[in-house]
This record gives sequence, C-alpha cells and structure tokens, in this order.
Amino acid sequence: MNTAKKLNQPPSYLSFDQVNGKHPLQSKVSDVQVSYQARRRKGGKVRFFNFDLAKEMGLIEDDHLCELNAELEKKILDTFSLVIINEWDIENNKKFPKSEILPNSYMATRYLQLQHPDKLGRTSGDGRTIWNGTVEHKGITWDISSCGTGGTRLSPACNINKKYYQTGDPSISYGCGYAEVGEGMETLIFSEVLHQNRFKTERLLAIVEFEKGLSINVRAYSNLLRPSHFFAPLKQGKFETLKKLADYHIDREIKNKRWPYKKTAYDAERYYQLAEQVTLNFSEMVARFEDEYIFCWLDWDGDNILMDGGIIDYGSIRQFGLFHSEYRFDDVERFSTTILEQKQKAKYIAQCFIQIADFLASGKKKSLQKFKDHRLMKLFEKNFEYHKNLNLIKKIGFDESTQIELIQNHIKKVESFRRVFSYFERAKSKKGFYKVADGITQDAIFCMRDILREFPQLYLARRTILEPKEFLEVIKSSYAKRADLKLTPIRIRQIKKFQEQYLDLVNIVCKKKKMNIENLLLEVVMRSSVINKYDRVTGNSISFVVDKIASTKPKLTAEEIFEVSQNFKYYQTLDPDQVVEKNIVNFRQKNLLTRLTGIVRENRESL
Amino acid sequence: MKLVLYSGGDGKDNYHLDLNFIKLLNNKNPVITFFPSSSYLSEVEFREFVRHYSQFGIKRFIHFPVDVNFDKVLLEEVLKSDAIHLGGGNTFYFLKHLRKAKLLTPLKKFVEQGNVLTGLSAGAIMMTQDIFMANYPEFDRDENSVHLKNLKSIGLLDFQFFPHYRNSTRYEKAFLKLSKEDPRPIIACPDGSGVVIENESTKFVGKTFIFTQGKKLIINP
Repeated sequence: MNTAKKLNQPPSYLSFDQVNGKHPLQSKVSDVQVSYQARRRKGGKVRFFNFDLAKEMGLIEDDHLCELNAELEKKILDTFSLVIINEWDIENNKKFPKSEILPNSYMATRYLQLQHPDKLGRTSGDGRTIWNGTVEHKGITWDISSCGTGGTRLSPACNINKKYYQTGDPSISYGCGYAEVGEGMETLIFSEVLHQNRFKTERLLAIVEFEKGLSINVRAYSNLLRPSHFFAPLKQGKFETLKKLADYHIDREIKNKRWPYKKTAYDAERYYQLAEQVTLNFSEMVARFEDEYIFCWLDWDGDNILMDGGIIDYGSIRQFGLFHSEYRFDDVERFSTTILEQKQKAKYIAQCFIQIADFLASGKKKSLQKFKDHRLMKLFEKNFEYHKNLNLIKKIGFDESTQIELIQNHIKKVESFRRVFSYFERAKSKKGFYKVADGITQDAIFCMRDILREFPQLYLARRTILEPKEFLEVIKSSYAKRADLKLTPIRIRQIKKFQEQYLDLVNIVCKKKKMNIENLLLEVVMRSSVINKYDRVTGNSISFVVDKIASTKPKLTAEEIFEVSQNFKYYQTLDPDQVVEKNIVNFRQKNLLTRLTGIVRENRESL
Repeated sequence: MKLVLYSGGDGKDNYHLDLNFIKLLNNKNPVITFFPSSSYLSEVEFREFVRHYSQFGIKRFIHFPVDVNFDKVLLEEVLKSDAIHLGGGNTFYFLKHLRKAKLLTPLKKFVEQGNVLTGLSAGAIMMTQDIFMANYPEFDRDENSVHLKNLKSIGLLDFQFFPHYRNSTRYEKAFLKLSKEDPRPIIACPDGSGVVIENESTKFVGKTFIFTQGKKLIINP
C-alpha cells in the first residue's frame, strides 16, 4: 500500500526548504559574517543540476529520475535564484517590491585575503558569494553557498577603491558580484573528476543561468570553512571570536563524524587536536598535490583551501600533465607559488593552527616563530614523507596490502626508488624559462605515467630491462627536444638504477607473497594501466572541454550536461579499485565524449 | 595463416573458440597484445581481457590502444607478440586509427609470419578485405561518425564477416539480397560462434550461417 501510494505521489522537494539563508554560524560566531537581505532574481534558468549530489544531500529522493520536472526546476530557482540587497542599493535608496524580498538574511563570511590592502582580514571575505544555509541528511550537515549573488562589501574592489558598487557594475569585473556559466562548468567538470578520484573537494550542486552568460554557481561540501576564516580573527587578536569559531568547527566535525578524537572535557586539548588534524590533513594533501601534479595557489592567507585540505575555488586550480614544477601563475602584481613551494605554505598554515591552539589555551597570542620547532611541525614532515612514499608505490600499481608491507618493512628501498624517480620526474628542458599565456614555466620533459604504465608490460614480455635509448624513447614527452635527451653517463646510470630498483621492489613483494614474478607483474600491469592511463585531464584540457560542451549545438539540456559530467568522470577514473563500466547508449553523448577524449589526449602533457 | 574470428558474447559463450585459439599458439608462455577499438575506458576492457585469458594460463599481456600516440619500443614488442587481439567497438573509428597509425600492413605481415590474429566483432570484420559489413544492413550498422570513406581493411580473407547475427526474417532477407549482388560469401555468426582459420583449413565453431549467391546455408545447426 505504501509503495503504491508513493508511486502515485509526485516527488516532494521539502528538503529544499531547509536552505533558506539560516546558518548556525550566524548565531554562534556572528562577527565572522556580514548579513544581507536578499531578493529574488528573475530570468534564471537551471543550466545544470547535480542529481547525484542532490541525492547524497537528501535534497531529492534516491530513486528520483535524473530529469528536471517543472516542480523541481521551480524549487531550484526559488531556492537559489537570488541577489543580495547590498550597500550600494541601500546608499542609493533602491526600492524593491516586498513580495520579492526573501524573509531571512544571508551571510557573506569574513576571512583573510592576501589581495586586500588591510592584511588583517577586517575587510575581506566572500566578495560575490553568500551562504545559502545547511542541509542535514544521514547524519551529515552540508554547507551550501552560491557564487554570483551580488557584490558584497568584502570584495577587493570595494576596499581598494573605498566605495560600494552596484551589483553588475560593468566597470569592474570580479567585484561586480556576478559569476559566469563558464566558471561553474569548469568547477563542475574538474571537481567531479577529482571527487571521483577521492580528492576532498567542494562540488557543484547547480548552475542557474541568466542572460549574457552570467550565472549563480551553487556549491556544497560538508564544511565550507577555510583556514582563512580562522586567520582573520587570529591576525586581529580577537580571542573570543577565534574561540567560538574553533568550537563551532570542532562541533561540526564531531557531528559529521569526521573528528577522530575521543571526547574531552578540556578545551585546550580540543584546540591542539584541531591543530593536529590540520597538520595531518595538510601534509597529506600537499604530498598528494605534488604527486598528482595539482597546482593550487596556496599562500599564507589560507584562502584557496578548505579546513580539511579539500579543494575550493577552481579558478586557481590546475592539474599538470607532467611535473611542470616551475610554473608560476602571473597575477599582475605578483607571481604564484610553484607546486614545490606549496608544501612550505601548507606547513605554514599548520603552524598557524598551533599558534591558534596555544592562543586559545593560554589566552596569550605568541609569535608564530615560537612554534617552528613544535612537535606538530615534525609530525607534518613525517606525515608528508609517509604519503610521498605511499603515493609512489600506489602509482606503481601495488595493491593496498603490498603498499603497507613495503612502507612498514622496506622503507629504505622505497625511498631509494623515490630518489631515482624524482631524478626523471623533475628533469627540465634546456629551453629554460619562458612566458605562457598566464604565467611563466620551464617544461618538464619526462612523462612518468608512461614509463610506469609500459615498463611492467615490456618487462613481462621480454624479461630484460630496457636499453637506455629505449627507456628514453618510452619516457620522453613531447616537450623533450634532442638536447634534452642526451645519454650522459649519469643518465645511463640513473636509467639502470630506476629499472633495477623497481624490480627490487617487485621481487621483495614476490618473496613476501610467495608469488612468481609473472603473476605479480600481471596484477601490476592491470592496475597501472588504470592509474597511469594515457589520457588524463589537465587544466588546459578542462578549459577546452568546457568550451566544447558550451558550443555543442543544439545546446545541451541540464540533464545532458549532468550525463556528460558523469560519463566524463567515469572516463577519468584513475582508481583501479573502482568498478567503472562502459554504458553510454545515447549517440549524441557518445559523439560528444569522443570529442572530449580527443581534447584530453591532445592536452595530456600540458599545464 | 592463423586467425580466429569471434562474433561476440562473453567468456562462457566463447569457450570453444578460445580453446581453438589456445591450440593455435606455438609458445607455452605466449605474449598476447590487446588492441582496443578505442582508448576510451580501454583499461577496463584490458583488465577483463587479461582476467579472461589468465584462466588459460596466459600471463603476458600488452595493452596497445591505437588512437593515442605510442612509442617505437612498445610497437616493436607488440609485433613480436605471439598473438594480437583486435577488440570490438565502432569499426569505422577503429579502422580510421589503425590506418592513421600505419598499422594495417604490419598487421598483415604479423599474420604472414605465422603469428595469431584474433578479433571480436569490429576486430573480426577488420580481417576481411573491407569493413563494408559494419555498414550493413541499414537497420543494424555502426555509425560512421568519423566520416571514413576508404573502407579497405587488413585484407586477409575473401569472405565477409557479420557478427552478432540474429536468425530472423529481416536479417535473412537483407543478406540474401546482398549475396546476390556481391560474390563474396557472407559468414554470419551469432554471439558465441566464430571462425578458426589455420592455413588452408577453415573451421566453424558454433552455429554459423553462410549466405552465398542468393542461398542460405546453416553450419552446425
């Protein structure tokens, strides 16, 4: 009877009603936010809706079709198609019909941002974003925020030019408070791929499109706080605010079952646990970023990263095809960090959390320098090294039990292989530094994925190691010129060392598992072909993929974009333990995906 | 010449064809190379391929997508394999990239040197003179999304091969018609059936339909 009733009822979208501007931060830590009234923004259409994520968040039922119906579309627009009434509107005495004004206030949060003249976080934060609120489902509380909902007083433009701006003011770009569909689509495609590959990341829930390619991009995560939210009150020495924020954050993590510590009655202990969590998360994250060639502009303000090391704001994220570790983004006034410099920035962020813990425990704010030799700084280094080693043996293709065995009992061998691996990974072109469209770089010349994928196959087939010339033939990238590929005595030694040490690891595992080398290598071949697949996305390819999706005629529907994003993420799954099936039946989707794979291939070694 | 043409189906369906294939291999520890028709998710197919043939004691495999750049070292090793398997998928796309990679002639030579070439569905069609059968009949054909005009293929066989055949009036009518117009016999195999060729001998495994000069013959009924 219940089933029959359910079948006859239209889906209910009551869960959306939770998303109404109210967020616990507003009452618990009121001074980390600025409240705005909001009004409905007309003319929006749902360009994209993430049915998978919406199910995970409990916004729609698990068995909901991946199709927009009129009621769902209306609900999405009612919930997210809004614009704030900002300081410019008030100063200019703008009047809006009461019926358009939403009942609750929405917050823009304050956080430290390097590009603000203030440098203390008193004027910076969400410049064009508001937090829509929270949703609770299956024991998880999700934060939802929307980018493109109007210019706030926390935008750099307001503070540099010392005036408020009308939302949509064409004289300023970023500060005008709007976002674009293209930005949303890049976030969608990139975040879905990284989420599929078990990166912690914000995800895109919806894109509401307006005229001229403008949009509101709605994102969600289980906790959208960033280190920079803490750094603003820290810099200002605001003990109470910092304490409330830390308490709020820890309680949320406990509620979301992401807090690994036992309950303690001592606040001070909790704050050190928080510092330890940040240390562990950031050292692991930055090791993985290095090894997966993820460029994330980390800096001392902790603005471009979430508290758990998750990715936020895809505008400053790239994935390189090779280890282009000299690339720097040119932000007009300054250059970004490089991939290798990210570690020091991540460590600095962890050090700030030790400072925070000490401040909250003692009531006195001490100099950051005092904590440079803190035990957690040593833990950072240790955990970073652990993950660097682990990431490498994962990449080779060893399964989990083997990874643990090698890390626990043969770490010297792993480290030794890591050194020779790095020798090739970090090799750069003799061409030297040169300018690219948005920065400077010096090309990496070897593709480590290619050698990790092909070497076990070649060794299995011929049972001898590769000649130096052959090795270079396999590992060379399209960036390598003749001058880069000289077989010097050092390089010849390193080539031999690479193969011997690789096989050393294989032989250790064979002995431990009592397997013959062919069986083990066969397992490695299969895993490695997924992990090190030929065509992996890069930042450049994501941009071209988004262009292709946008220019597809006739225009893709919201459902079709969802389907493309899902198919694309399956195609980009680099985890051999996840089961992915080829199941595209729709011809249009097949055709589009063939084009997208072509783009990925063409850009597979680029920035 | 050692060829095995698979129509389709899963491992169980093709057990007898597989036994025939294994018999053709001269080496007790052979190397088999898998050519997927497209690199898209081909790692998944490769793993299934390896898992399947591992059951026959084979331990050495090479994965060789042809629609991506490959290096000389791997290609040389591929052409030294004991067997190459051409996977299923879109026949037009597969042929386009085999040709672009200049692999049609090396594959022919590979067979002439006594090695085994196997193919499933699109891969099997690839062994014939051209891939006309991928485009026929109209109600069951591959989409030529790559707009391929030159349909000439590896050219090892004088007959046409049609995989995934369903014994229905519709198909029968279409193939009888074609067999009157084209002198080449059409061998149509349901999934699980196939053809094994060893030099002068041709063996049909499973129920097979032959259309020639307006007539239909059934083998292994």
